[in-house]
Amino acid sequence: MKSLGSIRRDFAPWIDPASTPFLRFEGVTKRFGDFEAVDDLSLSIFESEFFALLGASGCGKSTLLRMLAGFEMPTSGRIVLDGEDMAGIPPYRRPVNMMFQSYALFPHMSVEKNVAFGLKQERMAKGEMADRVEQVLKLVKLEDYAKRKPEQLSGGQRQRVALARSLAKRPKVLLLDEPLGALDKKLREETQFELADLQYQLHTTFIMVTHDQEEAMTLADRIAVMDKGRILQVATPAEIYEAPNSRFVADFVGNVNVFEGTVRSATGDRVTIETSGGFDIVAERDVPVETGQKVSYVLRPEKLKIAAEPISGPNVMEGEVWDIAYFGPVTSFHIRLDTGEIVKVAMVNATRQSPLQLTWHDRAFVTFDEDAGLVLTQ
Amino acid sequence: MGAEPAIDRKRSGDPGTRRKCGFGSRGLFRRIVIGVPYFWLVALFLVPFLIVVKISLSQTAVAMPPYLPTFGDPSTWWSGLQQFSFDNYVWISSDDLYFNAYVLSLAIAAASTVLTLLIAYPLAYGMAKAPPAWRTTLVMLVILPFWTSFLIRVYAWIAILKPEGLLNQLLISIGLISEPLVILNTPTAIFIGIVYSYLPFMTLPIYASLDRMDQSLIEAAADLGSPPLKSFWTITFPLSLPGVVAGCFLVFIPAAGEFVIPDLLGGSRTLMIGKTVWLEFFTNRDWPVASAVAVVLVAILVVPIVVFQRQQARIG
Repeated sequence: MKSLGSIRRDFAPWIDPASTPFLRFEGVTKRFGDFEAVDDLSLSIFESEFFALLGASGCGKSTLLRMLAGFEMPTSGRIVLDGEDMAGIPPYRRPVNMMFQSYALFPHMSVEKNVAFGLKQERMAKGEMADRVEQVLKLVKLEDYAKRKPEQLSGGQRQRVALARSLAKRPKVLLLDEPLGALDKKLREETQFELADLQYQLHTTFIMVTHDQEEAMTLADRIAVMDKGRILQVATPAEIYEAPNSRFVADFVGNVNVFEGTVRSATGDRVTIETSGGFDIVAERDVPVETGQKVSYVLRPEKLKIAAEPISGPNVMEGEVWDIAYFGPVTSFHIRLDTGEIVKVAMVNATRQSPLQLTWHDRAFVTFDEDAGLVLTQ
Repeated sequence: MGAEPAIDRKRSGDPGTRRKCGFGSRGLFRRIVIGVPYFWLVALFLVPFLIVVKISLSQTAVAMPPYLPTFGDPSTWWSGLQQFSFDNYVWISSDDLYFNAYVLSLAIAAASTVLTLLIAYPLAYGMAKAPPAWRTTLVMLVILPFWTSFLIRVYAWIAILKPEGLLNQLLISIGLISEPLVILNTPTAIFIGIVYSYLPFMTLPIYASLDRMDQSLIEAAADLGSPPLKSFWTITFPLSLPGVVAGCFLVFIPAAGEFVIPDLLGGSRTLMIGKTVWLEFFTNRDWPVASAVAVVLVAILVVPIVVFQRQQARIG
């Protein structure tokens, strides 16, 4: 893929064949009665990686995390962490710690005692323990709240205590179950950056479970998109967004226009697709396709350009403004094409006064470049 | 975010709305709902108790009712009041019999509370850990004995515990003992009776506090390196303490004044305070002393009752 790599350019062990994975799921299956929560799943995660498991609820992502923590045993398959098979090791002996979605703070203990709980189990010396607690609380900026009880804290503060507690033992892998799920939007955005900073400072391997694609994109080095107990794609956020390998992934992550069609001609680096609405798309041929093959063409709304006047050239669609939504940074148009399909177009509001004067039921012209979208065969 | 305005309204109590409430039909309804139990308590507990206090300050007499003074004719009220004295209290403090009965009652109540706790806790724990579909049934089973009269159930224990009773027959038939055990009319029988009768009062509050507990706390403890048994003592047990304390009070307070169980199962040698009141009242016909004994019992139990109330208020 052309420059769709990690944002941390120096960190990409997954493309280096010489690097050994820190954590491996090998053909892991988990059944609850008849229900297959995780289906023959294999996955490698590298040391110091911030990895996100992304999927809708019930896709098996939490089960995967709980198997790693030791709360569930795989029906078959192996989980190997740092060379050690986790089979038969109870949760209280695993070198991983989890930050629970509900935070699971002990309500009868102060913040300090909560954070020290794990260290106490290790029988750490008193002085060292106090130092460690102080250090971890400083890390999450809660050093002034050590004596408080969880009920005396705000939601955001509780989230930090939960984080501090799971970091205190310096686990080999930190598991985060919907870490920002209970916070309101504003706080979630702030906390996202703090969490990313923290991971960068500590170099601990983080594995996060989330249903929020934005959260996964902001935080993770790599994302695994899951559905029905299987992994559909494992890639960097940019790859997942710009080069999804299937319609499901394209649809799940971000907004997308999907055109179903048949390949009319495939010559050189060009492919022409006739959509079911009878419209021709000329696109770059970055996957091998044959004439007559059924394909989907996926196109992100922000890759389209909209105009009020007719435009010449290939890939021009014509229709009527069906809906407009103004979001501030972008304006989203729904254009009803003359062929009947609805196309979503996102226009960045780069200037305060929009040069484009379009309103409901106006005629509109939509165009896109040949490399704007993606031809998908699955 | 959405919940915030609702909370604000409640906190600030918007005086306008509140005043309207007081005169509206909902306000009236609320007053009735609160007023009825208060009326009930005043009429059927506080007034009778004040009468008992009054009798405890009177003197026994061969009369009907068997004490003096009585307040029939308003002209004798002042002279009647002058006859009030603390003689009965002085009397019960000077006779070891009463002191011993109090101490024995409190000791038996304390010991049976501990025994009940030891049985009820595992029971409640098992119920809370049972599959959710079973739990309602299990709670029903715990309160099932209430469907039969308390008195009948205590009588049933006589049939079980007496020398030729069911328990001894069973133990002899399986060859564990050859001579029947003497259980009936001993303190052991009282313990069995109290533990049996008050078990639901201990089990249900403990079950409620365990059932309410967030299971992820136990997982979090395990995740942080704590083995299951240790998690029980550091997490589960401390968090179930409100239920344990409630259960202990619900058993201790009535057990201390228990009359039926020691009377039917304990025989004549174990003199608890409830029995003492009964003897003073019906055998000696000394209503004033019986009243004084009862008032002192209430005074002793007021301490744990107040502690219990405060503890409940703090949880609420």
